[in-house]
Parts: sequence; structure tokens; C-alpha cells
Amino acid sequence: MSAAMPPPSSETILVERPRLLDRRRLRRLLVLLLVLGAVLVLLAPLTATDQADSLGAPQLVDRSQIRILTTVAMFVVMASAWNLVGGLTGYSSFGNVAFFGLGAYTCAVAVDAHRLHLPMAAAIALAPLVPAAFAALVGLPLLRLRGHYFAIATLGTAVAVGEVVKNVDYLGGATGLFPPILHRADLLFLYLMVGAALLAVLVSRLILRSRFGYGLIAIRENEEAAGVIGVNTTMYKVGAFAVAAALTGLAGGLFALWNSFINQELGFSLDFNIQMILMAVLGGAGTLFGPVLGAIVLELLIQNLAGRSDVAVYAQIGLGLLLAVTVIFVPRGIVAFFGGGSRLSVAHLRRSLRETGV
Amino acid sequence: MQLFVQQVVLGLLIGGVYVAVAIGFSLVWGILNIVNLAHGALVIVGAYLTWLLFARARIDPFAALPIVAVALFAFGYALQRALINRVIRAPLFFTLLLTFGVNLVIVNALLVIFKSDFRSVTPSYSGSGFGVAGVQVPYIRLGALGVAVAVAAGVGGLLNRTRTGAAIQAVGADREAARLVGIDLRHVYALTFAVAAACAGVAGGLISTIQAITPTAGEPYTLQAFVVVVLGGLGRVGATVVGGLVFGLVETLGQTMVPGLGAGWANAIAFAILVLVLIVRPQGLMGRVA
Repeated sequence: MSAAMPPPSSETILVERPRLLDRRRLRRLLVLLLVLGAVLVLLAPLTATDQADSLGAPQLVDRSQIRILTTVAMFVVMASAWNLVGGLTGYSSFGNVAFFGLGAYTCAVAVDAHRLHLPMAAAIALAPLVPAAFAALVGLPLLRLRGHYFAIATLGTAVAVGEVVKNVDYLGGATGLFPPILHRADLLFLYLMVGAALLAVLVSRLILRSRFGYGLIAIRENEEAAGVIGVNTTMYKVGAFAVAAALTGLAGGLFALWNSFINQELGFSLDFNIQMILMAVLGGAGTLFGPVLGAIVLELLIQNLAGRSDVAVYAQIGLGLLLAVTVIFVPRGIVAFFGGGSRLSVAHLRRSLRETGV
Repeated sequence: MQLFVQQVVLGLLIGGVYVAVAIGFSLVWGILNIVNLAHGALVIVGAYLTWLLFARARIDPFAALPIVAVALFAFGYALQRALINRVIRAPLFFTLLLTFGVNLVIVNALLVIFKSDFRSVTPSYSGSGFGVAGVQVPYIRLGALGVAVAVAAGVGGLLNRTRTGAAIQAVGADREAARLVGIDLRHVYALTFAVAAACAGVAGGLISTIQAITPTAGEPYTLQAFVVVVLGGLGRVGATVVGGLVFGLVETLGQTMVPGLGAGWANAIAFAILVLVLIVRPQGLMGRVA
């Protein structure tokens, strides 16, 4: 560079033509859209109540759509929670559904008249605690494993916990448990589940911007180096695992109460297990809104396909093909695909993994 | 005591099936660095092919095994070449997702074709066996163990005694070096996967003679194959044989000898073994420290 070249002045920066859609604007647009969508989601179901009906207000949604929205919110919770472990920390958990099932069974046992017989609010409060404690306990040995070993060991955890639950009579055995049916509670559970989804996003955001979150990213990029610069890797990993378990367990607990029935196939469903991962990866693992977007897009797709039971098998085949297409063509997720490379994207994960020779 | 000996014999015999299931899984994991979540689905494809040949063409299940092996070899080669080769350098997480997707497609395609009815292969000699000092040995399970050992020996021979095997091992040891000495990586990847699929098909054929099959019956076998490979130690055929036999033994004894446990606990036992081995002896029973 020649010495005659003038230093860049403030004018040159002002002259530079702003890009129509740079990352910050895109992000704001996305947030705005999400907020608008959320407001609509929260208000529209009110038109479907009996009161609104008797006033002659136009129904913006029917009750089946309330059910679909609740399911979408449930998957937002699970995908965001998975993202904390799989996306942020770089530990590809294949067994988060264990936490969902534990939360569901915690709630079901808590409200059951012949078992704990607690009020519903207490049951919901317990739902995140039991899975979180379980995650902290199994996390200590499991999070020492890496790569394939961690993935399959977590998958094994989910399968094994489900099997134990199925074999224990106190937990309903093979029949399952039947929490009491609450009449006209579909709106209540929609708001509870959306609340859980907001909580999951909020927690994710807090973690992403905190010392804790940067520690987790450091672990993902290079665990040894993270340890050297003073990150207590064991505590951080187990912490992330437990937070993810608490959120997933909350979703499970709400699901059990909402569904009024829980058994091993529902609570430890391997479909749910893989769907939450696919949502996070499809949307963009490691990003804040990626899992949210992935959950909304994919769950709406699944619900609209699976609503017709005659195509359930084909929906599964479609899901399998979607997995293949996602992995091969949009491995960084929708957010990165449209919004450019993100600092917290899988691209980093890929690069770092390639450099470490996996 | 006689009960104990009987259970040991049955455990070793069922271990033979686990050996057959795990050999292909171990090969793909060791050479391609892919944990193939569709492995159980390939096993069940083999089982259905054996059933088709038995039910429609009256071909003895053991005689059908070579046909099944060839069919799955071709299927495996095509699958790897067309699909899985595309993510072979991606992080393991993507290969897990992709193979899980393949698993979903295969299982549901089988559901479309065969429905979820239970099918079983029952040749005339099924259910009969011979007794030694009061200990019963079913012919079919003994045959299954024999086939499994033969498959293991065959794969071991292929890897250690042939030029193709040397190429496969070279790719497993160092991909870049293998490419530099002129090995066609894509072909070797596909070949490795094809051999593994053929082994899975044979294992499925054996399973069809032992238990009733449904399209979804394969999923436990993926987890069990993983446990067997971890138990024995990754990378050698001999280690997989030991892992499979030990796993069969522990699972059978665990289900029958420990009070309060039963057939419903198979996965929990497998998982307990897995976690125990990973913590106490991560390199496996026969593995060398990496």
C-alpha cells in the first residue's frame, strides 16, 4: 500500500451504498415477522371461544388449528432446547426425547389421583426439574463421550429409559397413564405451550449472549483449547444438557396434561426425537431463530400431511427424503441459506471439524 | 445348573446372530467412519427377501442366503454410490441424519409393500434340535451360528487376503494416502458398504428363521450392533465375533437369571452394557488403545 493513499474518511463510508438486505436488517425483519406472527397466533384463537361465537364474531381459526398451533409451539421448545446441546455445544444428542418422556411422566404421576395427586400448577413446576436432575446425573458419564459414541449413547438412554418406564407398574406399565381431562382447555394449553416456547427462545437468547454461551461455543470449536483458557468444560456441558432437559421436560409435561394420555410410545417417541433434531438442523443449528423457523415450517408440513391417516406411511417416507435433501443441499439450515453465514452457524462447526480431521 | 448351561448355550447361539448383524455395521463404521442407522433396516430387507423366496418359491432359507447376499450387495453399492458418498466428508452428525432418513424410507417402503403383518420362515426342521446331557440345541440356531462364523471368516479373509481387501483397509487407514496411490475412493466406499449390506442381508435371513419379522423389527438391531462393536472393540473382525458372543451371553443370562428382569428389558440391558463398557473400557474387550 503506497504512503500517498489518503486514510479512509468518514465521507467514503457515507458514500458506500447500503445493501438492501444486510444481515442486521434481515434479522430485524425476521424478528418483526415472528413477533407479528406470535401476536396473531395468540389472539386469533380467542375468536374460536364460545363467547366470541355467541357474539357473532368471525372465527379466524377453528379448533383443529388450535391443536396444530399447540403442537408447533411444543416443537419450538424441543428444537430450541436441542439446539443448546447439539447446535451450540456441538454434542449431537440423539436422545433428547428421554427428557420429554420424563417430563410427561412426571406430570402424569404428579396429578394422578392414585399417585401423588398434586395440583396442576405444582405438576407443571415439577416437569422441568426431574428431567434436569436426570440429565445432570447421566450427563456426567455421557458427556465424556464424543462423536458417534455420544450420539448412540444418548439414543440408547432414550430407548432404555422408555423401556424401564414400560416395565414399572407404578408408572402405568404398558398401558400408560391418564391425566384427568380438562374440559375446554385447548386454549389454556395453547397459551401454556406458547409460553414455554417463548421461555425457550428467551433462555436460548440469554445463553447465546452470556459468558456461559461463549464457553459452550468455545467447547464446540475446540474443547481442549476451551479447557486451557479456563472454561470448566464438564460443568458447562452438563449445565447445557440440564437446561435443555428442563425445557424439553416442560414441553413433555404440558403435552401429557394436554393429551390426557401418556404411554411409552408417545412419551419416548423416536419420531419426536428425530423431528426436533431435523427442525434445528433444517432451520440452522447454533442460531437463535433457526430452530424456531425449522419447527414452524416442518411441523406445519407434517401436520398437514399426517392429518390424513391414509398417507401417514408416505409422510414418513417424505420425512426420510427431506432428511436426505436437507443434509445434502442445505446442511447449514434455512437461516444461513437465506441470511448469509452466521457467526454461530454450522459452517463453523463444519470447518472446525474438518480442520480437526473428522 | 442344567438351566444355567442351557442358557449359556442359548446365549452363545443367539450371539451368533449378533455377530452376523454387527460385522457389516463394524465394517462401515471402521472404514467409512459412518454409523449406519439404516443397518437394522437392511437386516430386515434381507429377512423379507428370505421370506419371499421361502413363501413364494419354496427355497430353503439357508439356501436362499447367497441370493439375498447378492441382492443386498447390489442395493448397498447403489445406495452408497448414489447417496451416502455425498456426505462422506461431512461431520458425522450429517451422516447420522442421512442414514436415519434412509432408514425411515426403507422401513416405510416395507410397510407399504408387506403391511405390518408378522411373517415367519418355518422350514420342516424348525423347532427341532438335539439334546446333549439334557441341554437342548436347536438346529436352526446352531446353523445360524455356523453361518455367522462363516461370514466373519469370509469378511476377515476378504480384508486380509485379497487386493480389494487391502484397498479397503488402506482407505480406512488414510483416505488421502489411499487416493494418492491410485485407489478409486468412491468405488471402494461403495464396495465396503455393499459388503456390509450383504452381511446385513445374511443376518436378516438368519433372523427370519428365528423370530417373526415385521418392517419395524430392524431398529433394535442397529442399537445392538452398536453395542456389540463397542463391546468387542472397533476395527477387527475377530473383536466383533467376541463382542457378539459375549453380548448374546450377557443378554440371555441377564434376562433369565436376574430376578425381576425379562424379555421386555432387552434394550435396557444392552444400554447398561454399553455405558458400562464405554466408561470402564472404552477401547472394548479386544481393542487396542488408539
